[in-house]
Amino acid sequence: MKKAIVSAAAATLLGAAGWSADQATLERGKKEEQQACMPCHSLRLIESQRLSRATWNKELDKMSGWGTVIHDRDALLEYLVANYGDDKPIPAPAISKDGSGKK
Amino acid sequence: MLLDRRQIFAAIAAGAASRLARAADDSVAIAGKRPMILHNDRPEDLETPVRYFDSYLTPVDAFFVRQHIPRPAPIEADAYRLTVNGMVSKTLSLSLADLKRLPQASVPAVLECTGNGRGFYSPKVPGIQWGRGAIGNAEWSGPRISDILKMAGVSSGAAFLETDGADTGVAKTPDFIRSLPLKKALHPATLLALNMNGQPLPTLHGFPARLIVPGWDGTSSVKWVIRLTAAAEPNNGFFMNPGYRYPKYALPPGTPARPAELEVIEGMPVKSTITSPEDQSKAALGPMTIRGFAWAGEQSIERVDVSTDGGSRWREAKLSGAKLPFAWRLWQIDWQPSDPGYYTILSRATDSSGRVQPIVAEWNPSGYLWNAIDRVGVTLEKSA
Repeated sequence: MKKAIVSAAAATLLGAAGWSADQATLERGKKEEQQACMPCHSLRLIESQRLSRATWNKELDKMSGWGTVIHDRDALLEYLVANYGDDKPIPAPAISKDGSGKK
Repeated sequence: MLLDRRQIFAAIAAGAASRLARAADDSVAIAGKRPMILHNDRPEDLETPVRYFDSYLTPVDAFFVRQHIPRPAPIEADAYRLTVNGMVSKTLSLSLADLKRLPQASVPAVLECTGNGRGFYSPKVPGIQWGRGAIGNAEWSGPRISDILKMAGVSSGAAFLETDGADTGVAKTPDFIRSLPLKKALHPATLLALNMNGQPLPTLHGFPARLIVPGWDGTSSVKWVIRLTAAAEPNNGFFMNPGYRYPKYALPPGTPARPAELEVIEGMPVKSTITSPEDQSKAALGPMTIRGFAWAGEQSIERVDVSTDGGSRWREAKLSGAKLPFAWRLWQIDWQPSDPGYYTILSRATDSSGRVQPIVAEWNPSGYLWNAIDRVGVTLEKSA
């Protein structure tokens, strides 16, 4: 009973502070991003976006439906939310180098 | 309402400010393109920086690129064949030479990504976070779709034209196939373009042949076209449903779509964009010219009004170019600010059917059709 109260209190505190995943999970998520997403597109497509947890979750469902094999879904979602959540600042755009062949 | 407006404007300002802080990561060069805003380098999704929008025709090397799925292997001109089939009296297999023998038509037309401006929506929606530059105006030429279909003899029961490009999805990613009502496909300005600004289409823009559907969203203009099929019903693949659909009734921002109430997008809204000065830029106090472009889908641009005081007072800008459907018109207005400081500049277009750019763009779950009155901020400093 006491344990339950303590963990409930801890959950409330974590909730108030904004739950954040531990470093090991985020490391696994980063690896999963490379393994699952890179076969079809560059990571810029992901990393230029800032989305809520619910929206990232839906994106993972969409990509799974399109044949993406995700082994460590929970870690990937935590990684996306921790780095590219909608509370994170919008990144400066990447600019490609000149490929026009004109000088 | 006021809060919503403020939030939207704040989001624009924040996005714009970060856009000015050029990223250090510029490791990729895209063959045939000047430095572009790089949203995705595999496949290439490239946005045109506004400073390149200084001419009526957008140069090919500055034209935006949108790809959903990996680009097909380069198509050899001699090996290319276009299949025309479905509800036709004669199935055709046309070579590039056959297409060049048909009467060649030419149309200046804007191509705008359906999601151009998605990055300005709040709350954020998934998809490429385009700013102002997923748009361009080019001179397209090639045979009319109507002439190709005439050769094949379209059945009177056909109501749609299905178009498939040579690109195919990875894993179970759906193939990129689009359907067009036959009425629009038969419009004399709807082309199978072989040329862009007088040059053969580059691979990135659909060599050797792409659809050009003037006045409609860019996704209608399928690249690397290898098949045209006359059909009684529209294709129902992902890129027709639920992809590229828009809510019939406006939704509260941040709420999910109601699938039964999504409609295929046809035509584009009225829109103007400020290309100079750039948002969040600094300039020396003195006379300057404010510039931009405006277009209105199947309508033409009637006028553009500009405010340099946040929308209290408006002045009519000078339009150049012919008043045409499909193409944009460039506009400019001279401005002689007397005091230094921060100014909010707005532009608002009106089209030939009386449509006026709204203050607030209608939020939608896919972030399509952003067309709010454009807004840039500029700081004018006394020269030393």
